[in-house]
Amino acid sequence: MRVAIVGCGTMGTVHTRNLARMPDVQAAGVCDQDAERAAAAAAIAGTAAYTELDELLDKERPEAVIVCLPTYLHKETVIRIAERGIHVICEKPAASTLEDARDMEAACRKHGVRLFIGHVVRFFPNYRNAAEHVKAGAIGKVRMGHFKRHGSFPRGWDLWYHDRERSGGVIMDLMIHDIDFARSVFGEVESVYARITPPSVSKLEYAQVTLKFAGGAAANLTAFWGYNGPFTTQFEIAGDDGIIRFDSNQVQSFDLKTSAETGEQAAVQVPQSPMLRDPYYDEVQHFIQCIRTGTEPLVTIDDACKAVEIALAAERSAKLGQPVALEVAPR
Amino acid sequence: MNKVKIGFISFAHMHAASYLHAMLQRDDVEIVGIADEDAERVRPFTEPNGITYYADYDQLLAQPLDAVVICSENARHAEMTRKAAEAGKHVLCEKPLGISEEEMLGMIEVCEANGVQLMTAFPCRFLTSVIEAKQAIDEGRIGEILAMKGTNRGTMPGGWFIDPAKSGGGAVLDHTVHVMDLMHWFTGSEAEEVYAFAETWFHDTDIDDAGLVHVKFRNGVFAVLDPSWSRTRSFPTWGDVTLEVIGTKGTIAIDAFAQKIDVYSNKSGKGQWSYWGDSMDQEMVDSFVESIKNGKPVAVTGRDGYLSARVALAAYESARAGAPVKL
Repeated sequence: MRVAIVGCGTMGTVHTRNLARMPDVQAAGVCDQDAERAAAAAAIAGTAAYTELDELLDKERPEAVIVCLPTYLHKETVIRIAERGIHVICEKPAASTLEDARDMEAACRKHGVRLFIGHVVRFFPNYRNAAEHVKAGAIGKVRMGHFKRHGSFPRGWDLWYHDRERSGGVIMDLMIHDIDFARSVFGEVESVYARITPPSVSKLEYAQVTLKFAGGAAANLTAFWGYNGPFTTQFEIAGDDGIIRFDSNQVQSFDLKTSAETGEQAAVQVPQSPMLRDPYYDEVQHFIQCIRTGTEPLVTIDDACKAVEIALAAERSAKLGQPVALEVAPR
Repeated sequence: MNKVKIGFISFAHMHAASYLHAMLQRDDVEIVGIADEDAERVRPFTEPNGITYYADYDQLLAQPLDAVVICSENARHAEMTRKAAEAGKHVLCEKPLGISEEEMLGMIEVCEANGVQLMTAFPCRFLTSVIEAKQAIDEGRIGEILAMKGTNRGTMPGGWFIDPAKSGGGAVLDHTVHVMDLMHWFTGSEAEEVYAFAETWFHDTDIDDAGLVHVKFRNGVFAVLDPSWSRTRSFPTWGDVTLEVIGTKGTIAIDAFAQKIDVYSNKSGKGQWSYWGDSMDQEMVDSFVESIKNGKPVAVTGRDGYLSARVALAAYESARAGAPVKL
């Protein structure tokens, strides 16, 4: 399958590197408005660099495109690709409004192409392992969860992460990972209560969100942009018959320290653990497999829309200072 | 040297054993007696230590005492504190201070009226990690506090703790107060709004064993706390006290019992954590005794106990209403 990438920032580069070594997949051009960045990514995958998406689509004829642009560009770009009859894999969050996410879905359906949203935490082996234990009944009925995702303030092109209008903010961009994962473990969200630091506080965004789930369970999620320590993820899932815990700072299977440490931080931190394949590889390979076989992905467009809806409800709750109820579809 | 004369009223709460142990480490303290209706419950403490047993605490209060330690069921704190104060004894009272706002205010008032001190037993204030955190915050190391997240997850204690008439509440009352007190202490502010839920999710009982308590403080800081009795039999220890403080210039993470070794014994059939950090109970008891001895104000007051217990009471109100409540 011929796969192109649009947006050669942090995520675009990760995906380019993975495409270059994925069997039966061929990198079919990379695109970035910054010619230098496009050229650097193209060199990794041995493909051509473009600064115009339409030119890439015309010349490379990809069967799928991975969209790694800032969130506020997702809708327009995804629809443009769908209109050409090309499948789309889009970075999370799907969009910063539910309407936009639904429009993207409708456009893809109309043009007969698949749309996948990269909620990559579903593909992280640690989270997957936990989900499998829960599913196997290892901890009984799940009742209470804690999810934490703390890292430095990401530095995207034009500081788009710093603009809540364009990135959606720390809940929409960062916590949404845990919102989606928590929902996959605990079920449908009934109500949301949230608190977030005010925009007047510069250089950091921190949020606390409590999700109550239908059927008697809850989780508290925190997300933090501006943490001074290493990128940290933690979770605890407490059931009535056991507890599952994970702390990214306690799972170092490999630790190299040299005198030449520069201490320079990445623009956007991407959690890493020594593995043969990273979760982004597994994610894209899974989506490509779904295109080939026509099967449903592990994380669907409905899941992605639900995550956006919950994140927006959290924003609303934080504004109102009141819990916000969500409609739970009858089973 | 005049010894500080201490009496214990009730061992219903097992913390009494630890406070007694801490008292016995001091050669300036004399334990005058232990009062408890249940002689069997306190025999392991009276007999080996040669401490006089009283079936009726009024008789203990009639003895020449400087202070009493009250570790009864929560619902009896108020009555015992009142009688102790009227007998002119200083009081160290187990948390939560009381089970209603009125009775806690009454306890504070009766102690003031009788010129005795009332200290709430919040040993977490005396954790070395907590003291270092307070110092770092006061020095401005993390700038202004913006938010906090705490946990005081524990094991379901059973017994009178799950009888609402005696405990006044389940996990949310039992385990909100310690960390809430630290939040008050760190911010120097007071809770003004509470949003919480309280549910029975983990155990087959009629009392809440799960909850999350969101708090907004007067100075704008917001916080959340998990007081659930959610530790299962399989968990390597009884529970935890953690508190994460997010400031404008940095963060502090306290994991109060992280100073541990991991013990894997076939005898227990599971891995266990064995704590080796400082004893917070010893530090708290020492502080109380020193205050009484030197006529200095106690480090943690009745008002501190009231302020954090009323957050737990507001949490139940919020849980019933399904909405935030103002204090």
